[in-house]
Amino acid sequence: MHNRTALWGAIPLALLFAVPLVFSLLLLAPRLLDAKSFDALFEHPQFWGGLSLTLITGCISTILALLFAVLIVMGTLSAFRRSNALFLAIPHLALALGLGFVVAPTGLLARMFVGGSSPPDWQMAQDPAGVGLIVALVLKEAPFLVWAMSSVLYGNELRQRFEQEALVARSLGHGPRSTFFKIILPQVLPRIIWPLVAVFSYGMTVVDMALVIGPAQPPTLAQLIWTDLNDGEVFANARGAAGTIFLSAVLMLLLTVAWVTWSFLRPLIRSVMTRPAAIERNTAFISSLIAGLWLVVYAAIIFALILQSVSQYWPYPLLVANDYSLKAWSTALTNPQPLFTSLVLGVVTSGLSLLAVVSWLETQPSQRDRLVLPLVLVMLCVPALLVSLGQYRLLLLLGLTGTWSGLLFAHLLPVMAYVFIILRGSYRGYDQRWQAVGSGLGAERIRFLRLVKWPMLKAPLLSALAVGFAVSVAQFVPAQLAAAGRFSTLPMEAVTLSSGGNRALISTYGLLLMLLPLVGFGFAAWFSRSRWDNA
Amino acid sequence: MITRRRLLATSLATTGLPLWSRTVVAADFSAVEAEAKGQTVYFNAWAGSDTINAYIVWAGEHMKTRYDVTVEHVKITDTAEVVKRVRDEVAAGKTDGSVDLVWINGENFRALKTDKLLFGPWSESLPNYALVDVEGKPTTRQDFSEAVEGLEAPWGMAQLTFFADGAKVSTPPLSIIELIAYATQNPGRVSYPAPPDFHGTTFLKQVLLESAQDPGVFAKPGDEIEFKKYEDLWAASLDELHKVSWREGKQFPKAQADVTNMVADGELNIGITFNPNEPANLVAASRMPASTVAWQHRNGTIGNTHFVAIPANAKAKAAAQVFANFLLSPEAQAKKNDLKVWGDPTVLAISKLTATDAQMFTAFAAPGSVTIPGPALLEPHASWVGLLENAWLKRYGKG
Amino acid sequence: MLELRDVALSLKGRVLLQAFTLTVEAGEVVTLMGHSGSGKTSLLSYIGGDLSTAFEASGHVMLNGVSVQNLAAEARGIARLFQDDLLFPHMTVGENLLFAVPRMPQTERLAMMRTALQRAELEGFEIRPPHTLSGGQRQRVALMRALLAKPKAILLDEPFSKLDQSLRQQMRAYVYTHITARNIPALLVTHDRDDAPKGGRVFEISTVGELHRV
Repeated sequence: MHNRTALWGAIPLALLFAVPLVFSLLLLAPRLLDAKSFDALFEHPQFWGGLSLTLITGCISTILALLFAVLIVMGTLSAFRRSNALFLAIPHLALALGLGFVVAPTGLLARMFVGGSSPPDWQMAQDPAGVGLIVALVLKEAPFLVWAMSSVLYGNELRQRFEQEALVARSLGHGPRSTFFKIILPQVLPRIIWPLVAVFSYGMTVVDMALVIGPAQPPTLAQLIWTDLNDGEVFANARGAAGTIFLSAVLMLLLTVAWVTWSFLRPLIRSVMTRPAAIERNTAFISSLIAGLWLVVYAAIIFALILQSVSQYWPYPLLVANDYSLKAWSTALTNPQPLFTSLVLGVVTSGLSLLAVVSWLETQPSQRDRLVLPLVLVMLCVPALLVSLGQYRLLLLLGLTGTWSGLLFAHLLPVMAYVFIILRGSYRGYDQRWQAVGSGLGAERIRFLRLVKWPMLKAPLLSALAVGFAVSVAQFVPAQLAAAGRFSTLPMEAVTLSSGGNRALISTYGLLLMLLPLVGFGFAAWFSRSRWDNA
Repeated sequence: MITRRRLLATSLATTGLPLWSRTVVAADFSAVEAEAKGQTVYFNAWAGSDTINAYIVWAGEHMKTRYDVTVEHVKITDTAEVVKRVRDEVAAGKTDGSVDLVWINGENFRALKTDKLLFGPWSESLPNYALVDVEGKPTTRQDFSEAVEGLEAPWGMAQLTFFADGAKVSTPPLSIIELIAYATQNPGRVSYPAPPDFHGTTFLKQVLLESAQDPGVFAKPGDEIEFKKYEDLWAASLDELHKVSWREGKQFPKAQADVTNMVADGELNIGITFNPNEPANLVAASRMPASTVAWQHRNGTIGNTHFVAIPANAKAKAAAQVFANFLLSPEAQAKKNDLKVWGDPTVLAISKLTATDAQMFTAFAAPGSVTIPGPALLEPHASWVGLLENAWLKRYGKG
Repeated sequence: MLELRDVALSLKGRVLLQAFTLTVEAGEVVTLMGHSGSGKTSLLSYIGGDLSTAFEASGHVMLNGVSVQNLAAEARGIARLFQDDLLFPHMTVGENLLFAVPRMPQTERLAMMRTALQRAELEGFEIRPPHTLSGGQRQRVALMRALLAKPKAILLDEPFSKLDQSLRQQMRAYVYTHITARNIPALLVTHDRDDAPKGGRVFEISTVGELHRV
């Protein structure tokens, strides 16, 4: 609203997000001119193989995740929504580990259904085509997209509109599925573009999952880069940095191509969507089947993690281990400091981000989002590794490495980006007529915000907070760099202790890493229930 | 203080070293100890093992009570992280660096030394350095092919060791040729971690040493032309092995820890480690069965030493030296040597210790101990690493 | 009395409304008609004080002789009704009404709210959520809520277009009766000629943006 804009509202987002991010990126600019490292990258024997694997796994996993998400949303959502906190909370790494424990040649499936003295020659995890990685990504990302879509569908305000439109469509003789494809989906898809971009970027640049369940010879490009960046040699580091820049460029290119294609195909897709009468019958069944499948797989994964966390020597083909021990749990719990640090960081960063983003959205005209979106895009699309490096250089310059504020700042950038993306759609989509009604009733701005707007946007506000918290808790690379050994967070502890391959410890930390976000999402889900849901 | 004074007295009594050399070192070091009081040592060390972490806690407790020095274990996944951190901090002009002491060897040491990022020389003037087996264990002064020159203090010994469940491997293969023969009989049950995993690269070096007529040539720097002479034989061995390896040698486990887990699961039959006592340790931790056996190759396997070093910009240099000296003490070395604690072989010469101290090192066999030891071979010169890794990637890295 | 003096409106250089002057007397409902995109709704936004910056607008808005176009929207005392009832979905019917009641002792506020409920013919609906009411019931609550704020003028933006035919007739009578009874000037925007109150003044916006009395 024109008469409600104020420049001061932009200050928190600018100071806490935009300015430091721009400086971080500027500090990386010299790398762009490093032609020698780019040559070395292209000459790497695994470069082309890695690139094609990255493209295959990134694209296929995104398309499948979207497809399954749509199929789930189309049918009954209730069961899925209730367990969605679980789906969202499980960290990518824990999911990959758990899935590995289930499908590997010596995993639970083989032990249950194959047996024999030696494990079968399955190639389910670390297979050369990357199928294991694709499966893991789809399992993890589809619920995220379901969540993004249901936030749009069940937002207090759009819900009413969708319900009315669905009513009209039904009165014109369309069944519920056809209504979904014709009326609802075309409106929902444009609103989840950003979550979709995040999913795609993640699929293209994921390192931790790929290390666990992805192919090795050649590895994906992101793994290749990760190995280089972790090398002690300056030459390899430079090649890794060149790789990161290259990967980011590929990603941007693909996103542009996708965008252009979408603009062309949009009318076409719409016309296809207006006649899906044939699929009318079986969709509810398919939806619940898929949702059920997800529940079963997640349950199996969590069960496998719990079992591994207490199992000791457990050779194939034993169905259960010979020895059990709580040693891993006691190792993890005797040092609660990292858990506490992660908790405090998560609460502070998600809270600060919410304040900064709401302050921006409430005071800046929507056209001004164009200034912030490219930066958010950078945070979402550029591999976290690259941004973290620039951010680390900035912290070094400011002398903030190893300090609490440096650590906080390192967590703040990615959290802010996610909070912005999640909140922007609902906040900007908020019908201005509500404001007109409020003003017409004489309500001052703060009264309107407090009693009308924020309560109506309660669900997206709480979701943003919960996602921000989860993103903060999951940070590893930036945390590791900024902490300089002075602080330890939960993922740092998990990764370092896990480097010895002790599965009981890995599983224990996987479960612990899941716990914090689970509590966060649980809170958000509980408090964002509509007042009328109980009745 | 008690340990050191006792050590001084006993070493005077048992060794014929002149009195003055001892007292000079001791006097100098008292000043270091005095300076160290109240300091905190941020010890950056790989933290992937419960037993090692517990040992560091034990050492830290002793440092607190005896020297009023606090030891903070900064848990590290990969020492290269620390190399980069030190490099970045120095480049940014940070003089009160975040690393006081780092657990290190090989290429990471060479990287820090080449870039002049290390404090020192200091290690050879530690009182306990006199007990190090520099003659019997030449790798304590030659870290891979790099001269140590007092820039790091030896901490423990390592030698490439293989292990397996004795129920599955009744006669351990004692050479690469025998390993290929075993794999031929048990196809798909042998593999090794993909380079640049440290163990994977060392395995490639081992194959190189065993496939060449005269392994001595690799002590000298190599280049592409020199490597050509040995590449065919080396690759022939690998080709033969891969044909009968896990997934036909088209995929490899990503890290040594993965190989260990796959051996425990029964997916692979033979594991690989640099710590000869790790198999026994795995048995003690219930991660491998009591029937586990460990061995080294008949003609020897690659051996080396791991060290602790102080970065040039370290804040608590005095306390770091006092800690390094404690880690070299017979008490700490014996504790570390203990299979129930860590099982890391000592760098000290037992012959240089007092009878009582020497007793602490009495070896006893535990399930999983090395039953067939082989001699330790020197690492090839560092220049061979890049040549091997590149050739491997070109030949086998594409799937 | 609502006066619009020399009010003009354009969007990116395209003239939507040429300067015009119009006075709406207390209790009168003036109807404004025009094709879609003619700027009817934007005119209401300008009067109400929340026109988007994309538009260029000028002219005076006077309420009972006082110029208000520089006041914030909430300080103008101009209520709005839309084609959607826009009852706040997270509040009960009673809370929706209370939101509009100015600050005063709680017992008086409650009394005003109950009177409004009565006038909406919805006694006993106080704690019902809005979505459980019928379209006509909701629109009645929306009007009562607007009137509770004691507005100096009321702007009606096609408030009947979503109601079905039989209900529409009832609602028109209901709305106009209450507005006239309180002597509030009202401006109605619609594309349905039948919406205009009998005998009321009706204006139409031409394609070139001129206002003509019909």
